[in-house]
Amino acid sequence: METYAAEAAKQAPGYQPSGERGAALYSKRFGVSEKMPACTACHTETPDQAGRHAVTGKAIKPLGPRAEAARFTDAAKTEKWFRRNCSEVVGRECSAAEKADFILFLTEGK
Amino acid sequence: MMKKILVWDLPVRLGHWLMAGGFALAWATGDSESWRLVHVFAGGTVTTVALFRLVWGVLGSKHARFASFVRGPRQALEYLKSLLRFSPQHYTGHNPAGGLAVMALLLLALASGASGWLTYQEMGGEWLEELHEFATGLMLAVVFVHIAGVLVGSLAHWENLPRAMITGFKRGEPGEAISGQRRFAAVLLIGWAVASAWWLAQ
Repeated sequence: METYAAEAAKQAPGYQPSGERGAALYSKRFGVSEKMPACTACHTETPDQAGRHAVTGKAIKPLGPRAEAARFTDAAKTEKWFRRNCSEVVGRECSAAEKADFILFLTEGK
Repeated sequence: MMKKILVWDLPVRLGHWLMAGGFALAWATGDSESWRLVHVFAGGTVTTVALFRLVWGVLGSKHARFASFVRGPRQALEYLKSLLRFSPQHYTGHNPAGGLAVMALLLLALASGASGWLTYQEMGGEWLEELHEFATGLMLAVVFVHIAGVLVGSLAHWENLPRAMITGFKRGEPGEAISGQRRFAAVLLIGWAVASAWWLAQ
């Protein structure tokens, strides 16, 4: 999270990560993908809950680190899933600011 | 006297194009969650065709059998040198370098399929996912080498090798021809590949 926040602050001086913006991003219906219009399609409205893959029906461990401690501890894995899921659900890459907001929301709430 | 003779039986040709198509589709859908089932089905098809090919490499017609085309690196090198000298050695079936590519692709398909399926079932850890990506990346590299080899071979022997993999017919001595298409085995191949890939995607 700190890495993304630092990168975002470099791009836009004065940037502060916001759990509120992260929450908005998490529940926003982008509607780019029919089966996965929002993060909540697979990860449910409550990220501390176990999710279910909208296409394969497979169980997904909670996304929130409070419920699943290993989340966001591996930088490469974090980046890989932001890359994949942002391009498919949001329809574009996510910015460093969005990523920092997102992780802050999942870690500490709004 | 070289004539047009039947060299590749139907299971060899069908299997080849199922693997090629399956690999392309699986590669294109690898990063996508909405295409995840298609990815697993396509990759599963590549894997189950490769498994069939192992059996067919023993039970298949003459030029499909591993014993007829799997050679060591020395002979592969000899063949490549003969290409450079512009006096290429002619093989009715796979040349020794092509044979190595066939084996590499089959083994990589099995490694990629096994690690991919285990990842999909969430058995084993991150390393299986890494292995899946590594094996698949390496397989793509061998695919390009294979395609380059086929192009060079086609020019060197002045014979359309991709077309031979469609029709089954190549230039060769009449005594080298295989006796039939092995249609029954081709039906078995399709049934097996589709059914087991479907099962793998569940």
